[in-house]
Amino acid sequence: MPKADLGGTVYDAIEYFYTKPWSDGLPIVPPTEELIAAMLRGTRCDSDEELGLVPPNFERLTVRRVAEHAVMAGALPQYMPVIIGAMRAILDEKLNMHGVQTTIHGVSPLVIVNGPYGRKIGINGGRGCFSPGHRPNATIGRAVRLILYNVGGGYPSASFSCFGQPSRYTFCIRENEEDSPWEPLSVDRGFKAGENVVTVVQCENPQLTHDDANDDPERLHVATTDCMGNMGGMNAWRATDMVVALAPDIADNFAKAGYTKADVHKLLREKAGRHVGQLKQGGLWRIERLNRYVTKVDPNDDNCFVPAIQEPSRLFLIVAGGRPGATTAVLHGWNETTRGVSVAYEV
Amino acid sequence: MSAFYDPSVGATKSLSPANRPSSLAGKIVGLYDNTKEQADIILEAAAEDLKRRHGVKELLNFRGIHYSKPAPLETIEEMARKCDVVICALGG
Repeated sequence: MPKADLGGTVYDAIEYFYTKPWSDGLPIVPPTEELIAAMLRGTRCDSDEELGLVPPNFERLTVRRVAEHAVMAGALPQYMPVIIGAMRAILDEKLNMHGVQTTIHGVSPLVIVNGPYGRKIGINGGRGCFSPGHRPNATIGRAVRLILYNVGGGYPSASFSCFGQPSRYTFCIRENEEDSPWEPLSVDRGFKAGENVVTVVQCENPQLTHDDANDDPERLHVATTDCMGNMGGMNAWRATDMVVALAPDIADNFAKAGYTKADVHKLLREKAGRHVGQLKQGGLWRIERLNRYVTKVDPNDDNCFVPAIQEPSRLFLIVAGGRPGATTAVLHGWNETTRGVSVAYEV
Repeated sequence: MSAFYDPSVGATKSLSPANRPSSLAGKIVGLYDNTKEQADIILEAAAEDLKRRHGVKELLNFRGIHYSKPAPLETIEEMARKCDVVICALGG
């Protein structure tokens, strides 16, 4: 690994990084040998262990390189297991990070953490979980982004993304398991309760929907499912992932009405979508893509319902955020070439 | 301030583009369709022009699996083996 010694102060080093495409625009912590060594003490993994090739340049990512970027991002050593877990998921080909690194779209890999370790190190899943002010959320997500830049070569100057999105700075939350009436996402994804799991889904920024007027599930879903089927979203008719995060108060209202998590999951899938007659009016509707990407749609039947969620495993339903709050966060997905990935991680 | 590490992509990944031929006359040209709509139309038009105006010897067609996924390695290798030049069309 190339090494440089500028002399001078830490501020000189920070400014030097700004002369290179190595930062996200915020000051970095210079990755010195002392700090990298301390960071590596946060993981049991060997520093030379290879986690995979980071697209689009397919440079090898080792645990040591993760540590360098964790230092730069301002992370603490105890965050290393989560960052390593997130990168294992991100480098799974099913997530298609290559496509997202080079797309015109703006999605970013959302890191959702389940299990006791995430809670122990203070990843926020409660009030303001998508907001600034929480070091684990801010720096775990930032470390991931810096790796995608510097190891993958997906620098902002090389990106084709039309707008990008603020969550490309950082995008990491924990599920608010302690305030959820249901089993966590990790259990939905086939892991045991209490396992430390990270799930990564390619998502747009959260769009918030609000409903403090209803507790009947047949009305309570409406604001959320309308947003899920947004005509401009990639989920309008294509088969792709989506994350829906219910605030604890919203989840409680469903639970009090006797709804299990599976019931809510099914309700959202059944109600979110548009009819062919609406989809035809504009937006992303392209007749030539229907047969390639979607089945069970009759383009000649204006009453044919096209669900926003084409198959159950495409909807990642979690409970997050704080109380009080009659809010749901809807995070639209990208396209059919990506599938959310979950991995258990070692601490 | 002690030494710090350059976090950027390794030098091994810095590749120079292949030399561009000064003429396409007598060359075998590959046409890669990235599968996005209209890519095939662009390539058809290019193919016609390449034959008529540039004296291309042979045109070979290739197609990806999805425009959001990279070209399969075997396709890249086949193009490298069979073609002097490859033109990629990105539909829209």
